[in-house]
Amino acid sequence: MISKQHKNPNTGSIWIVVAAFNEATVLGPIVSDLMRRTYRVVVVDDGSSDATGQIALSAGATVITHPVNLGQGAALQTGIKFALQQGAAFVVTFDADGQHRPSDIARLIEALTDYDAAYALGSRFLGSSRGMPLGRRLLLQVAIWLTRVMTGLRLTDTHNGLRAMTRDGASRIFLRQNRMAHASELLEQIAASGLRHVEVPVTIDYTRYSLAKGQRLSDSLAILFDLSAQKLHR
Amino acid sequence: MIAQIGLSILLAGVLVYAWTEYRRAPVISILSMLVATAGLYFVWLPSHATRLATLVGIGRGVDLIIYVWVVISLILLLNLHLKLRSQSELITILMREIALANARAAEPSK
Repeated sequence: MISKQHKNPNTGSIWIVVAAFNEATVLGPIVSDLMRRTYRVVVVDDGSSDATGQIALSAGATVITHPVNLGQGAALQTGIKFALQQGAAFVVTFDADGQHRPSDIARLIEALTDYDAAYALGSRFLGSSRGMPLGRRLLLQVAIWLTRVMTGLRLTDTHNGLRAMTRDGASRIFLRQNRMAHASELLEQIAASGLRHVEVPVTIDYTRYSLAKGQRLSDSLAILFDLSAQKLHR
Repeated sequence: MIAQIGLSILLAGVLVYAWTEYRRAPVISILSMLVATAGLYFVWLPSHATRLATLVGIGRGVDLIIYVWVVISLILLLNLHLKLRSQSELITILMREIALANARAAEPSK
């Protein structure tokens, strides 16, 4: 993977976008791991009150700091914009809470080139997930079904934070949903772009930490409200 | 008569406001225009309001009109909510630009 990146000058740089809000306790090793794999890493510190930004900086990442907390969607959009400004050939979104495996990124990028796709979406249901509670599984199934109805995309996992995009794909994404509804919004925009997407099996490690940071049923109702409200205005 | 004129002016105001909002939020605009037009009609023909009210199971025409007002208020409230959302989108874009202009890197980023 690493050699591939250097061999082919057309692939250019791979930028990893990590949106982080108060992740100081877990972020350091994640950024270090990504840097070791020679990826370019941009951490968007979404108005954290802890040392998230400082830790990311000393781990070697480029850090962009939102003056106040705007939400994960806003942070990802900031990171994607920055990566594109830096001339990224590929943009990867990666969760800051340690549930993703840096080793999966190479497979996503490979899938983009192999299938000539613009978007490679990680799927925990094609891959494996460890320690996923039943409630979480049911909630995700409902989201998958709703996505099918609303966007026509037949996916096995709709709320996976690990995704890779080509430069072309990333430049067609503009997230307006600042909070958690951005995941659904992103899929809508992928469907609207008409560009090819593939799903790639990835492994999710559910830890007590990542579960505490995850979505609950009440959050999903808020997401539905956000999505419908946005349909009503420009 | 005075009440009818006063109400008509207010409802006409709602109509004009809804029309100016059309480009920003078409759904809300059309809804409020429909409701305001219905309101204008019933203000001047209360007997029709009473007839319609009895038809849908509401006692008096006046009650029906009050309900219509409540509905208008709710729609305007929703519109206000949508405006606030647009505002926060603008703030987000502004903050994003500020954040991007202040990117920090351990090593020169390019």
